[in-house]
Amino acid sequence: MASLWGWHTSALTGISFLGMIIGAVIVLLLILGIVSYLIYFERKVIGWMQGRIGPNRVGPFGLLQSVADILKLLIKEDVIPTNADRALFLLAPVIAFVPSFMVLAVIPFTATHYFTAGLNVGVLYYIALSSITILGIVMGGWASNNKYSLLGGMRSAAQMISYEIPLGLSLLGVIMLSGSLNLNQIVAAQNYGHVWFIIPQIIGFVVFVISGIAELNRTPFDLPEAESELVAGYFTEYSGFRFAFFMLAEYVYVFAISALATTMFLGGWSGPFLPSWLWFAIKVSACIFFLFWVRATMPRIRGDQLMGFAWKVLIPVALFNILLTGAVYEIHL
Amino acid sequence: MIFGIPITGQTITYFLLALIIMISGVMLMSLQKVMHMAVALGGVFLGVAGIFILLGADFLGMAQILIYAGAITILMVFALMLTQRGDDTESPPANGWRVGGALVFVVLLCAAFLYVLRGTAWPVTQSAVDPYTQPSVVLLAQSIFHTYTVPFELVSVLLTVALVGAVVIARKEEE
Repeated sequence: MASLWGWHTSALTGISFLGMIIGAVIVLLLILGIVSYLIYFERKVIGWMQGRIGPNRVGPFGLLQSVADILKLLIKEDVIPTNADRALFLLAPVIAFVPSFMVLAVIPFTATHYFTAGLNVGVLYYIALSSITILGIVMGGWASNNKYSLLGGMRSAAQMISYEIPLGLSLLGVIMLSGSLNLNQIVAAQNYGHVWFIIPQIIGFVVFVISGIAELNRTPFDLPEAESELVAGYFTEYSGFRFAFFMLAEYVYVFAISALATTMFLGGWSGPFLPSWLWFAIKVSACIFFLFWVRATMPRIRGDQLMGFAWKVLIPVALFNILLTGAVYEIHL
Repeated sequence: MIFGIPITGQTITYFLLALIIMISGVMLMSLQKVMHMAVALGGVFLGVAGIFILLGADFLGMAQILIYAGAITILMVFALMLTQRGDDTESPPANGWRVGGALVFVVLLCAAFLYVLRGTAWPVTQSAVDPYTQPSVVLLAQSIFHTYTVPFELVSVLLTVALVGAVVIARKEEE
């Protein structure tokens, strides 16, 4: 049993490989459950903020609404437009979804790390893999052979590549303070110093939240899928379970970026009295609630402001934060 | 043991990665549409990143994914979308000379590779000491920011100059 659950520290054997697979399947099932209730939670929260009731018909309090929606999507016909590029059209949702699930491998959910790879380059792994999703989105937009899809795909590529840079730079301050790229050790450094990195890294946190929302293509940065101009953006032509895959990737990233924010800035799984997984769940839920709150509050940003904001505001602020962190670090030690 | 190669997790992973790289490489050369080629190129980059990670250079592998499989591939796709016009599936017809030349070249290349690889003595450390005493990130950081600080800074100045120069040249053409 030791090697089954201790696969992240022991050598690779058959039994620890089995442990890895079981862990991955458990995380996948967990994430499917989380995503279906994320959608329910989002609709309820936005309904509440707009003075509506939200879903309340299917099951008690509408709790089975997402299950019904997913079931409907799965049994719908998988339409492939005649003039679409068939191979890429079929492949694009897969390219978009797989990295969104893979990034969860380095997130420390609990203090025991049963489901966490203690990768030495964990932060880099997250940023590197999440950039592959952009390829899936652009490919989906191009392969659909539809001008709305193409425009959505192009906007999405430009936006996500631009905002990836401030996202990476904003995390550098935390990496400098903790002296590690390993997410487990970043949590340990916050425990050791008795302070969450959100306090010394408040500038980095603000840049992280803004560029994180832009990476997720969510309001106020939802230009790639702006309903009023582009129908639905890059997945206009998708239906059935391929559409579900794109939506799944988006909501898995909502969870993943909240989990990353929790780990990097909010002390991860650590906290008094309650078990570690519960602390993690509470902090992640707070981050996710904040994302939904922003969506219900903010109007969409204008296209010409979008790029300038990333390159002229966020990147200089993130660089200044790195400089400041380095200077304070040098004076203190 | 097959052909003198021990069957471990590492060799299986290596051959899987090599298969991915070769299949993607062949697809890159044989596919008709430029867009499909870009995706195949992404596959090659990912496979190479896998080889880096397998060899213990995890930072390099991740940088490979971030820069090549992520940024460069998307940049190429983006440029293709902006510039591409009309049908690109036309290709020159294959004739006897072309095929024969290709075959001769492949045989010569394989012979040259075999000759060089067989003729080189590959030193193998006999001691059981772990070659990586520290994580590769630490080793990399020490060599960049301690041992080779001045060359590193010079290279970054050079790259900045190149970047500014590219902007200036592009501006001139615009006018």
